[in-house]
Amino acid sequence: MKLILLLTFLPTFAFLITGMFSGYLKSKKVINLSLFSAVLSIVIALGASVYVYLNEVTTIYLFSHQELGFTFRLDALSLVFYTMIALLSFIIVRYSATYLEGDENQGRFIGRFASTIASVQLFVISGNLFILFISWVFTSLFLHRLLTFYGDRPRARTAARKKFIVGRIGDFFLLISFTFIYLQYGTGDLGIIFSEIAQSSSANMPSALQTSAVFLVLAAFFKSAQFPSHGWLVEVMETPTPVSALLHAGLLNAGPFIVMRFSLLMNHSIAASEMLLIVGGFTALFASIVFMTQPAIKTSLGYSSVAHMGFSFFICGTGAYSAAVLHIVAHSFYKGHAFLSSGSVVDIIRAKRISLPNRLTSPLRISIGIFLTLALYFAVAYLFNPDLSNNFSLLAVGLVIIMGLAQFLIPIIDSKPKKTTVLIASFLGVMVSFAFFGFEGLFDFVLNDQLPHSVILSTLQIVTISILLLIFGSAVIVQLFYPNYFVGTTSSSIGVHLRNGFYINTHFDKLIGAYKVRTE
Amino acid sequence: MVNTRENIGVNTEQLVKHTVEKIAPLWTLENFIAVNPYWGKSDNSFEEAAKYYNKLNSTQLTMPLSFYMTAIDEGVIKKVDVEKALEQSGLDKLSAREFLNIAHSNNKNKKAVQQNIQIAADCAEKVSGIDWSAVMTDCITSWASSYFDKGVANWNTVERSGSLFHSWRKDAIHDKKPKILGLKKFNSTVKSLPDDAIESIDFCLKELAPKNATLEVYLHALLSRVGGWAAYTAGLDWEANLYGGNHAQLTDFLAVLLAWELSLQNSYEDQSFEIFWEMSQVNNLEIISDFKNDESIDHRLILQNAYDLANQRELIVKLNSADSETSKPAEIRPVLQAIFCIDVRSEVYRRNLESLSPKIETMGFAGFFAFPIHFIPLGHETGRNQCPALIPSGAAVKEVIRDEKEHKKAVRFRQIRAHLFSAWKSFRHSAVACFGFVSPMGLTFLPKLFSDSFGITRPVPEPQERGLSKKNIANSTVSLKKEKHNGLDSGFSPEDQVKLAMNALRAMSLTKDFGKFVLITGHGSTSTNNPHATGYDCGACGGNTGEANAKVAAEVLNNSEVRQSLRNGGIFIPEDTVFLAAEHNTTTDEVKIFNLFDVPESLQEEYKEVTGWLESAGRNTRSERALRFAISQKKDASKIGNSVVARSRDWAQTRPEWGLAGCNTFVVAPRNRTKRIDLKGKSFLHSYNWREDNEFKVLELIMTAPMVVTNWINMQYFASTVDNKKFGSGNKTLHNVAGGIGVLEGVAGDLRSGLPLQAIHDGEKWQHLPHRLNVVIEAPVEAINEILEKHKTVRELCDNKWLFLMIMDSDGKVSKIYDRDLIWEELNEEIFAERIMI
Repeated sequence: MKLILLLTFLPTFAFLITGMFSGYLKSKKVINLSLFSAVLSIVIALGASVYVYLNEVTTIYLFSHQELGFTFRLDALSLVFYTMIALLSFIIVRYSATYLEGDENQGRFIGRFASTIASVQLFVISGNLFILFISWVFTSLFLHRLLTFYGDRPRARTAARKKFIVGRIGDFFLLISFTFIYLQYGTGDLGIIFSEIAQSSSANMPSALQTSAVFLVLAAFFKSAQFPSHGWLVEVMETPTPVSALLHAGLLNAGPFIVMRFSLLMNHSIAASEMLLIVGGFTALFASIVFMTQPAIKTSLGYSSVAHMGFSFFICGTGAYSAAVLHIVAHSFYKGHAFLSSGSVVDIIRAKRISLPNRLTSPLRISIGIFLTLALYFAVAYLFNPDLSNNFSLLAVGLVIIMGLAQFLIPIIDSKPKKTTVLIASFLGVMVSFAFFGFEGLFDFVLNDQLPHSVILSTLQIVTISILLLIFGSAVIVQLFYPNYFVGTTSSSIGVHLRNGFYINTHFDKLIGAYKVRTE
Repeated sequence: MVNTRENIGVNTEQLVKHTVEKIAPLWTLENFIAVNPYWGKSDNSFEEAAKYYNKLNSTQLTMPLSFYMTAIDEGVIKKVDVEKALEQSGLDKLSAREFLNIAHSNNKNKKAVQQNIQIAADCAEKVSGIDWSAVMTDCITSWASSYFDKGVANWNTVERSGSLFHSWRKDAIHDKKPKILGLKKFNSTVKSLPDDAIESIDFCLKELAPKNATLEVYLHALLSRVGGWAAYTAGLDWEANLYGGNHAQLTDFLAVLLAWELSLQNSYEDQSFEIFWEMSQVNNLEIISDFKNDESIDHRLILQNAYDLANQRELIVKLNSADSETSKPAEIRPVLQAIFCIDVRSEVYRRNLESLSPKIETMGFAGFFAFPIHFIPLGHETGRNQCPALIPSGAAVKEVIRDEKEHKKAVRFRQIRAHLFSAWKSFRHSAVACFGFVSPMGLTFLPKLFSDSFGITRPVPEPQERGLSKKNIANSTVSLKKEKHNGLDSGFSPEDQVKLAMNALRAMSLTKDFGKFVLITGHGSTSTNNPHATGYDCGACGGNTGEANAKVAAEVLNNSEVRQSLRNGGIFIPEDTVFLAAEHNTTTDEVKIFNLFDVPESLQEEYKEVTGWLESAGRNTRSERALRFAISQKKDASKIGNSVVARSRDWAQTRPEWGLAGCNTFVVAPRNRTKRIDLKGKSFLHSYNWREDNEFKVLELIMTAPMVVTNWINMQYFASTVDNKKFGSGNKTLHNVAGGIGVLEGVAGDLRSGLPLQAIHDGEKWQHLPHRLNVVIEAPVEAINEILEKHKTVRELCDNKWLFLMIMDSDGKVSKIYDRDLIWEELNEEIFAERIMI
């Protein structure tokens, strides 16, 4: 093993040290150390990426016992996530340096931040089951200290408590899953495990591995706030905005990441795939509808994250893993930006009084719009991938992109637009389609050797995917044809239930006594 | 349950009217105007109100004792101040030392539980151990932020067609949250109520049957549990009173709260609730009959008075020791006459500008320059009121591009942009569709994260500039042409223009000796990603920048026909005088002139000189202001400038500028009285010359409008400082914008009013000190008394010590201070000087 590879661990080490000593240093020092670590992370991420691209998947053994211990795996998947976290942590630490200026505990805050980033870095480059599990637990424990940064806020404690309960259940499931894998192969080394799985086929999957896959998916669901464990996530704005940004853009990805990491295993388990489709798909739909109804910006972003995690699981379930990675990474940058800029929503509202043409809700115009959207999308799709029909997974994901585009183009077509507006909109539509296939192709190329390909779906999966797409489609159709239903003129009880997220969180509140008066 | 039904004879409508009057209004983040949150209680003396709020819900009107003790240790409060304060409280037998000892030991022993006014939610809490007040607040916030939502949610889930109470009922009937948490009869109670707010209030009060004598206070306590939303609805009523529309929204809101109270009573009917309720009535009665005798906060009140006296003492010494000029030094015609807003931030800039040349004169006037307009930005459907919140706006004025062809192009372009943007937003924010957005577009946020982080781009464009090119912005002006816009009359007739011009010039005491350039300088701020950004803009322009008002003023005053008519009215504006519309950016201290095109060729040279002055003044002002930030003084001026601009563009900056923090004085006098004094950006300055004020009409205007506004601003800062939990908006890093209206601190809870902690505290020390406003007016005492007699609310502010009124005599010395009931205390200067020596 080349010594130079040890450098990979340097940024994480720097973050850890910063975190450990933040209590003894002036906050200015802590900020500089953290920024330094973040920049170092970016440099190392790029260096390691080049190295892996030129060589091959590399495992670094620091020390290990029975293939459990401190080993790190550098491959396309871990480096994509590592790079993403490096970039985000730089931006968010930089933001916090100004944002919390004057807070007497700023140094401690950044310190806790640094420890959390270190644990996430470890997590994505983990090379064996042991370190993977440990860092998985530690991300959550470090996060807990960030969630309770303002520990005298009762709501902060409530949210942290919910997260703690959900987190430990997730840990338990992951432990079960890993135990089964370890017992099956007698090794904790991810490289060995992956190659073993790759050589086996779905038909002769041992039941231990089947069980393991199911528990892994469950652990991922609990980690990433899937229905009905999502309550804590929509409540964690009891701590400064940068924590929300890091959580939603970074830590929350742990669930989809672990599924992607073990995508070869998932690919062999119909049960796991079905769970990903159904729970992911349902959460995606549920949370994205609730998201629309939230009048407080950070809460709405919280539900949006739940939805996007669900959608990522859904894509994993379809087998289009590279599209799933694309979605997760894209979501991270999107959501990180959305949280950091959440104060700007007032500016958007202030600029809203420009006169716009009204929606006509003409069936003809909407139909033309649907036709145009489909034509536009498939034209681009054909350019990139002429035999899309052979790739059902990508086709399924593509359909959801079309649904999105429809929500962009149809409100314009259905409202007596100016010609220029239609032209620009169509051009943007083409660009969006290009972007999707372009990025998807890029991710597929980069992650080629880490994800399963030529996924063959079972009939059950195809039926499930089709039904879910049908439901997604109906949700979009309703929004397209009845835009007025959504502007506060129609009253029905469904509105209040949705706004309350069907009271899932209220039951959780009751369970842990969130509104109980504390006698101190 | 046996009801005493004692309150059957009470006129509910009267009762409600008296209750809602106690709630001060609150404006949205779109135009965050400063409000005195104690406005509804200004008919009480400051001390009485302090005791009242303390008992109502533990709201404090003073700082903790330690704050004053530190001020004493540091020599800010002197012995004389404490003695004077004791004397005013009738405790002159006590020496200052004795008093402080008592206060100190009292504070140490004080651990007794404070009893507040109780409501049914408190009784239910005692029965169940559940914090029902918090549940109620959360449920109401969830509904109210939807009901009032300005466009955060993409799907508005509440019915908005009916009245507020109607909408809430429809929603609450189905809301399962209270039931799940244990409030079994919530839905059925709500269902059983009448749809009309007053009827429902009547019904609930009869059922709850609080004791008659407690009714008003009980209802006030109830409203203050969800005080943020109550204040917001009060704000809607305030606007409706000026502009028409439903002005009983707060009444509806009160009905909502009473419905909660009743449902709590109904749900806990069988338990010990009734006993607690009876006890609460006894408790409330006791508090109401006795709160004026409450001594628990007396010491702090006396010290607050001493603290204010100390501040007055310093101010008076400062004003009196300066040798003010009684007449102009030389009869030279000023090249630049700059009129600024009375805002405290103008003082710093004005001082720096004046120091550059004797050819410069500055004046202070409310930043709308007596042009109350309804401004319709380019391509907008509706406009906004750009005038003080106390008066209704005048005619509408449209923003236009000077070239008609360009104008049409710009409007078209702006509308196309807006149309695309709204569709793009539905792409981003619709159910399911949002997945289709993020997959392809999410990665584009990576470069944006970096460019926003380094201040190269802004997370979203400036609202005023969105969809306009740089060229458009440079060439935009206002149209005074009479026309119709969306059924609204816009523009001014020539006669109206003359009338406005005449009024404005007289009010500004600017009727002769015009300079070559008269700079009408509105102000605005620049900050990025700041929900409270409009709070830094001009309050006199209704929480907007003063750009439009300045443009209208210049346009009218440059009009030769208007000038001709003014001449007939006795105001002679020289032909070569040019009025320039400008904006003072209070964050970066740059002054930008809008109507370059009005400067004739012949004046180009002088104009260059003027812009040179403005630049130098900006540089000096920035250096002065940088002292208040941790921007190192070693840096040269240009570096300071860069770092100030960088702050204004930084999306993580929670303190882009200090706004009006520190404001504690309002001087109404000719500028030469204060010209040689460094008032440190703490003083509002209104130019006023009583000798030219016919029948004291202008003085009346000043005392009823700008003086009240300055009191509102001062009290907003005061209240946010002394009790940020109750009348401030808490920690900015936790802010969660709700409905685009206001902020929540964190995930739930009440709508927060007032200022964030970051706006008044720099992490080490307070940037605003809790001083009540000192108003110094140079005018005859009789004139002032007459105005006080005429205007009850103004007199209440002075009588009840919500501000301190002082008179400056004809030598420029502060000679009298107002006590109450039109009685003035002479300030004997020698005694004063002696006192300071001690």
